[in-house]
Amino acid sequence: MSSLEGHTDCGSRVDAAPYVLGALDQPDAFREHLATCGACRTEVARLQPVVDALPAAVAPASASKDLRARVLATVRSEAELRQAAGRQADRPPAPARRRRSRRASLVATGVAIAAGAGIALAAALNLGSPQRLHVTSAQISAAVQGAHASLRQIGGRSELAVSGMPEPRAGRIYEVWVNRNGSPQPTDALFSVTSRGDGAVDVPESLHGVKEVMVTSEPLGGSPRPTGPPLIRVTLRA
Amino acid sequence: MLADEELMQLVASGDADAFEIVLERHADAAFALAYRMCGRRSIAEDITQESFLAVWRSGARYDRARGSVRTWALSIVRNRAIDTLRRGGPRERRQTSDDGIADTLEAPERTDAQAMDNAASDEIRVALSELPTEQRQVIELAYFGGFTHTEIASMLDAPVGTVKGRMRLGLEKLRGHLRGWEAVGV
Repeated sequence: MSSLEGHTDCGSRVDAAPYVLGALDQPDAFREHLATCGACRTEVARLQPVVDALPAAVAPASASKDLRARVLATVRSEAELRQAAGRQADRPPAPARRRRSRRASLVATGVAIAAGAGIALAAALNLGSPQRLHVTSAQISAAVQGAHASLRQIGGRSELAVSGMPEPRAGRIYEVWVNRNGSPQPTDALFSVTSRGDGAVDVPESLHGVKEVMVTSEPLGGSPRPTGPPLIRVTLRA
Repeated sequence: MLADEELMQLVASGDADAFEIVLERHADAAFALAYRMCGRRSIAEDITQESFLAVWRSGARYDRARGSVRTWALSIVRNRAIDTLRRGGPRERRQTSDDGIADTLEAPERTDAQAMDNAASDEIRVALSELPTEQRQVIELAYFGGFTHTEIASMLDAPVGTVKGRMRLGLEKLRGHLRGWEAVGV
């Protein structure tokens, strides 16, 4: 393939459509060609967003709760291993007290090295250090028993996520309040939930000095003061 | 909303809570794509599970300059689905690809959460359905069926150049709808 940088057309441009669709027999050759051909790069850049949008054409489907639970169980278990390996890596080597089986040692060492290497790689690739995510679980009122809610915070931004919440009654909506000094203040955060009871809403207020975030059911449009008891309460540490 | 890209930075550093949010946001879309491509719930679940574990284990490889978290995650799903399809027989692959986009799932599977995206999705489905059959067919066989352009040419008994041309024409027409999709947040 010839270099056609700056030219308006290229005989290989016809390969751009199968390439972005992942259907080109020899994508590596075309990928190399892209490095030197502006016309083909432009064509790929034009068509790629169309292909990226194709999954949205798929009929909706719900991943089962079991599937999510299986994935999360594995992830949490691996996260604990990584943390344990990280803590272990910070300690000076301890003298061996008793002889372990060679196989057990190799497995443990392998896990520690793999997890440590993963963390080191992650740290190396994250040039800007990410802020921490704080997740605070909520207390749920008996009126919405079975629901779950948590407040998620990164830096100065927060969102409240709920699951298993009943849909608000007709003409009602959920409203988020912040409580700094015993008197709940309204926020602009009004939300409903899906038929599965899922929902998430940004908490637009700064939570600096906030002791509690609450949710009540209010008339559509929200209220200046709560008209009912809190359904969800998130207590924040000072 | 907390940005996916920011969450992925945390995922890369081993934050399981951040991963849970990413999973929560994209599991349905991932499962729907896997189901569309494979046509069987059990296989789609396996593909979705493997894909999200790959997201967790390779989170550091996510590069926001190359697209959204959803696009990246779905590309992992699609690649794994194609691997699965290629292990199966060509007849089964063809059957799944020909099933059609709108008819793959039962209506009860739809949820209100997905309804938020339905306007956008409907736009894309309509745009696809309005393509000339031969253009829609090659796009669906390639994207959802995982067939290469030469396999499609052989399957349709059409010249390779014709298949490539149909793909390009089809994508060009869909691109004409992009402005409308962007307006509805696709």
